[in-house]
This record gives sequence, C-alpha cells and structure tokens, in this order.
Amino acid sequence: MNNVSPNNLPLGTTPAFAGMHKWLQRGLIVCLSALVLEGAFTFPLLAIWYGWPELSLQEICTEFEKIRFSDESRECIYPYPLFAPAEGAGQKTAQDVWGVQPRPQYKAIEYRELIKRRDDRLTRQAEGETDSKY
Amino acid sequence: MKEQPISEQDRRRRKALIAFQIVCYGYLLTMFLIQMYMYSVRDW
Amino acid sequence: MMNTNTLTMGGMTNLDDHHLRSRQAQWQADKWMMVGALFLGTAVFGLIGFPLFLRGLALQIKAQRQGLSVRPTMVTLIGYLVAIDAALNSIGWALDLVAHHTLLARVFLMAWGNMFDAGYFWHYNELWIGGATAPGEKGWEIALLPVVFCMRIAAAIGFLQMKRWGQQWLIITCWFGVVAWVGYIANMTIFADVRYTGVVFPVIGWWLYDIFYITPFLALPYLHSVNREIFTD
Repeated sequence: MNNVSPNNLPLGTTPAFAGMHKWLQRGLIVCLSALVLEGAFTFPLLAIWYGWPELSLQEICTEFEKIRFSDESRECIYPYPLFAPAEGAGQKTAQDVWGVQPRPQYKAIEYRELIKRRDDRLTRQAEGETDSKY
Repeated sequence: MKEQPISEQDRRRRKALIAFQIVCYGYLLTMFLIQMYMYSVRDW
Repeated sequence: MMNTNTLTMGGMTNLDDHHLRSRQAQWQADKWMMVGALFLGTAVFGLIGFPLFLRGLALQIKAQRQGLSVRPTMVTLIGYLVAIDAALNSIGWALDLVAHHTLLARVFLMAWGNMFDAGYFWHYNELWIGGATAPGEKGWEIALLPVVFCMRIAAAIGFLQMKRWGQQWLIITCWFGVVAWVGYIANMTIFADVRYTGVVFPVIGWWLYDIFYITPFLALPYLHSVNREIFTD
C-alpha cells in the first residue's frame, strides 16, 4: 500500500516515532477545535458581558473610556479623525499607583455592570438638571 | 518493517525530542504557577 | 508528488491513472479544507468553516483508505492549523497595530483586555503609536506580525504542497514561535501587575484562552521526526 506501510503507519512516520505522532495528532485536534470554539464565541460572549445589546457598541466604548481614564466627561468619538493624535494622548486623569510597576485603581467590570453605570449617571444628570432649575 | 530494529540515531532523536517537549511544557507550567502564586498574594 | 511508492500499489494497473486519481482526490479534499480554513482564520465565522474543514479532512482520510497517495493526515493538520493559528494572531495584533481607533478595536480588544489581560485596557490608545500600552507589547507585535506570522502562513502553504522548502521554513518559523512564546510569557510574568490588576479573570482566564495557540510546540517534534523523503524539491 502506498500511504500505509506494512505495519499500517502513515506516510512519513517511522516506527520509532509512531507513538509520538499519534499523541501529537490528538493534541493538534484538541487545539484546532478549541481555537474554533474560542473564535466563534468570544466576541458574542464579551459583548453580552459588557452590556450589548442594551448598550450600543459606541456606548460600551464610551463607558470603557470613562473607566480607563477615570474621567466621566469622556466620550468615545467615532469615527475617530484619521490623523488626529491618539485619543488618550496627554491625558492627566487616569488613576494609578505609580511605582516600578504601575497599578491601575479602576476595579474589574462585573457582568452587565456598564449598563448600571450608565443608568446611574443618567439619573444623576437628570437630578442635577432639576436641582439647578429651582 | 516491524522486525527492523529502531536505529540508534532514531533512538537518540526521539530522546532529544521528548526532552524538548518536557522543557517547553515545563517552562509554560512554571510560568503559570508563578503567576498563580502572584495571583494568590496580590490584590488583582 | 509522492508517487515514489506507487510501484508497490497492489491492484493498480496504470501508474499514471493512480497518480491522476490521487491528485484529484487531494484537490477535492483541499478545496473543502481551504474554504473552511479561510472561515476559521476569521475567528467569528469559525463555526461555518469547521464543518467544511472536517468534510475535507474526511474526504482525504477516505482517499487514504482507498490506497490513493494523498498527503498524510498529520501534514494536513499541521499545515492548516499553523496557518489558522497565525491568521488568528495576526487579526488581533494587526487591529491593535494599525486599527486601534476603530470601534471594533475599542470595543472588542478592550473588552478582551478588561477580561483577560489589561495590557489591552490599561492606558489604551495613549502612546503616540496608539493601541496597547503594556511594557514590551508593541515590540512583540512589530517583531512577530511580519516576521513570524506572515512567514509562517507562507511556509504552511509550501508545507501543504509537500515541498521541501515548506517543511524547512515551517521548522524555522515554528522555532520562531517557541522564541515568541518563551519571551512573551516571560514579559507577561515580569509585568504581571500591569497586566492583571483590575481584570475580570486574571491569570486563569488568559491561560485558558491562549494555551491553544501552542501549535508550534506540537508541530516541531513532528517536523523533526518525519521522514524527509516524502517532501519534494
């Protein structure tokens, strides 16, 4: 036979490496399947965790920016002007504990927390507006 | 082919490749464990 | 291609006929696998590509069982997986390198970063070059994207064609892959505070996500132990 040598080994595999090649093949199949699943599900799951579809992608982008630079006045500009400086360039608001290794002071974002953040802010803003009227 | 003994060269090559894999995966595991240790002592 | 052993084929009267049928079977299988791999390389459409790819793989294994001289399964798996791995890596890093102000990058790269690796969240888009700000990260991107991943995709194509240069260059680029993994992980561990502070799933999340990119470690032992005679000049 052509691809299968007398003791049923695939073409290119010598008896000395038959066992190793078998295990490598199993590993490759596991990696391939895992990469496919990751690729397919990462984007939708991330979107759901961070509040889509209640928040549009641009709103998620805005919330990230407010958290990243600890600045509630920031907005995600989109589309971003092509040759403008990076959006965060020169910012002075981000909060870190500086040292040999800086450590940010923002907290990890919980499941759907961004929606709550936005709603709270909107409520605060609405209250602020009514207060100023009277 | 089955009766044919595995050559000395193949034997040494197999040994080297197994060593290579142990070193690679050992390194990954070590780094992972270092990070897990850091995770356990720091406020991440 | 690979017709050196055809003389020993039992039951085949015509060598050319066997050669022709083998090539046809291989091409038939490759068409399915190539289309599948294109989808797989895009990540999001992976689930569409996977059945196509598996159908191609099944066709090839069937042809093998029928005694046709097609590519060994391992060569097929390694060639395609290495190309897909490189394509997936390239998407993320190309996005970060040149498209860091797109909505896609600022939502998904950032979400990924916030969940697994703050190198893609912390002070993002603050450097003049834009994108990731973690120490060392940009250097890795610039080094690995054109040199390792692009070259590895090219090598994988030659490897799938059973060319000797394909095998040799796949060995070279897989060794690049080893260097990349060792250096990247060391960088990551040393700057772990920047990368894991304020992250949703520190350490375990990153490893679980990234460990399946170890294809070079799996490919190298095969590439160094396969019988080189099956590759042609």
